[in-house]
Amino acid sequence: MRWSLSLLLFGFLAVVHALSSSGNRLLVVLEDAAEKDSFSKFWSDLEARGYDLVFESPKSDKLSLFEHGEKAYDHVLLLPPRSKGFGPSLSPKNIIEFMNKDGNVLLALSGKSTTPSAVSSLLLELDFHLSSDRSSIVVDHFNYDTLSATEKHDVLLLQQPGQLRQDTKSFFGGSGVLAFPRASPHTLGGSNPLLTPILRAPTTAYSYNPKEDAASVEDVVATGSQLAVVSAMQARNSARFTLLGSVESLQDAWFDATIKAPGDGKETETANREFAKQLTAWTFKETGVLKVGKIEHHLAQDGDLASVELNPKIYRIKNETVFSIEVSEYNYDQYVPFEVPENDALQLEFTMLSPFHRLDLQPSGKTENSTIYSAKFTVPDQHGIFSFRVNYKRPFLTNIEEKHEVTVRHYAHNEYPRSWKITGGWVWIAGLWSVVGGFLAFVVVWLYSAPTSAAPTTKKTQ
Amino acid sequence: MQLWHSVLQLSLLVFTAAPTAAASAWGFADATVSVHTKGAGVGAGFKETIPDNKALSKPVSLGSTDTLKVSLTARDGSSATRAHQVFLFLQDPETGLDISYPFNVKDNGKSKVELTQKDLPVQFLSVSEPLDARFLIGSFGSSEAYNGAAFKLAVTRNPDHPVPTVEVSRYGKLPEIHHIFKDGPSSPPIVITLTFVAMVLAALPILAGVWITLGANVCHLPKAFKSSPISHAVFLGSLLSIEGIFFLYYKSWTLFQILPAVAAVGTVAFISGSRALGEVQGRRLDGSR
Repeated sequence: MRWSLSLLLFGFLAVVHALSSSGNRLLVVLEDAAEKDSFSKFWSDLEARGYDLVFESPKSDKLSLFEHGEKAYDHVLLLPPRSKGFGPSLSPKNIIEFMNKDGNVLLALSGKSTTPSAVSSLLLELDFHLSSDRSSIVVDHFNYDTLSATEKHDVLLLQQPGQLRQDTKSFFGGSGVLAFPRASPHTLGGSNPLLTPILRAPTTAYSYNPKEDAASVEDVVATGSQLAVVSAMQARNSARFTLLGSVESLQDAWFDATIKAPGDGKETETANREFAKQLTAWTFKETGVLKVGKIEHHLAQDGDLASVELNPKIYRIKNETVFSIEVSEYNYDQYVPFEVPENDALQLEFTMLSPFHRLDLQPSGKTENSTIYSAKFTVPDQHGIFSFRVNYKRPFLTNIEEKHEVTVRHYAHNEYPRSWKITGGWVWIAGLWSVVGGFLAFVVVWLYSAPTSAAPTTKKTQ
Repeated sequence: MQLWHSVLQLSLLVFTAAPTAAASAWGFADATVSVHTKGAGVGAGFKETIPDNKALSKPVSLGSTDTLKVSLTARDGSSATRAHQVFLFLQDPETGLDISYPFNVKDNGKSKVELTQKDLPVQFLSVSEPLDARFLIGSFGSSEAYNGAAFKLAVTRNPDHPVPTVEVSRYGKLPEIHHIFKDGPSSPPIVITLTFVAMVLAALPILAGVWITLGANVCHLPKAFKSSPISHAVFLGSLLSIEGIFFLYYKSWTLFQILPAVAAVGTVAFISGSRALGEVQGRRLDGSR
């Protein structure tokens, strides 16, 4: 009996293996409890990955993101509110405060109803822009589901996203097709490097307000790939905020729904379930989380390193130095060795006010769950207080910011080459010793010289 | 026979009609593209008709003061109708950046759009290749939307005006920096050094030669050593050792190593020197000096 119980417990532990790197308390803010059942597969997927789901209504009095001044949940999932906003406990200020305390937020919108202005102002604070009427949906007459939206064309079909750029990691990749019913589009502020689009609308898409009964659109805010359907913001403290345009895409009905693109497309199943997993995993820090292990720097030396002092406080100019940093990446349930994406580089800067060296760190070794990156360089010929800096900020990866200060000193007086090694100094050395020799010769001559015959004559004249 | 014929006709009709009925498609007719230059007379400038549902083979160029006018009639199948989406779609073939301009659509499907360089995003002003211009015509319902190339739009700029650029900050790899070291100290060519060393060292034989011609000699050496051998030997020896100590200081000794040594040897030199000089004085008083 006990044996079977422990086996059961073991089995339970094996199932609940995946855990976010930053906690598993997940608050789901859901206004209409009746809606909960339509997302049952989504909830069970999250629970299977080890999250403790707490469902609350935004109207609930006891709902608070904080407890004793600390965050009460690690992650928040906000489903679109029916009423004017999320209420006082989920005001934009509280949500920003929650993110300042390293909380992650996934906000889903819906094109079915007008987005409340409170949500819009929260998004504006993070540089996401909704259309001014806040009730536009994205429509594309070229990529829609012909089975469910024959007339209205409001179920957008999109390929799973690939790489954002040539030098980023793809956390949302795949070859499936995603369906976004009645997606609310947004545009991104252009100057903000913290924002990254995850999924853009197709080039032929546009946004319009279905409540306006115009026969044709003549005034559009943005079109094509300027419109984003899913975007993310990663704050400087690496807290993550994800905006999903279509909450319906998470519903059971759209996980594994059958869809068909216009033209002679084949009927396929949606990949919404996989994408929902990737999106929640990234937002709630199961993927793309970097951790720095050991950081070492020392003088370069051939052979045995045992005698080298590790992490000395002081270096001399022109010293050969080796710097190494250990980086691991969290991947769903464990730390694995971090691989820098192709075309990207982990860079080391040796700075005093501005970088004197900026070098690509090369992988030099691997442990069970980390990669060691290192670089070898010569300390610049400038004395002062320098620092080794690794500042690795990339889309979709948590920030690495390491700074280690060292002093760089001049040559000590006995570290310069001796004067006889400098050929230019030979003239002066020869001069010195010829004076010494001349002095000794003079002393000898002065002491022992006998007067010549001419000498008395001169004496006489005196 | 006649029945057979009519059945054949009917089936043929069904076969040809069926695909068109199912795939009613959007298209356009009466499309023209024209470019008006500001200040130029009426009728001047570029004007071309785009063949129905096809692309114009000639590229269209848009200068900085020009206005591009495109007009067309949207058609669903063969009837001119109003479409929900009638867009002029521009795309940079290199970067894939795209933007669409909606047409002004009338009830009878007649649509037109006007465009100047000011309406274009700044990124399009600095492209090297002509932009791809396409027509997007589509609407709700089952009719297949139209997405086809219309013409190539070359954005020409006055070369005297600077191309506006946009700089946005994005996190990514930065260019590598390698510190440029100052040049180390260097010595002149060894030949020059050796020449000057030879000149310096030549001073000693020259000095000796001059002294000898003036009559310098060491004839009193035996005499002096006979009268006071110890003081002379020790005095000369101590002078030599002081120079030897200086040599060791230059080579490896520290200041605190040479100070006691110099003090000891200096005292010896002082005492022995006063004796030796006494002997020299004796020689002078003797009249032999």
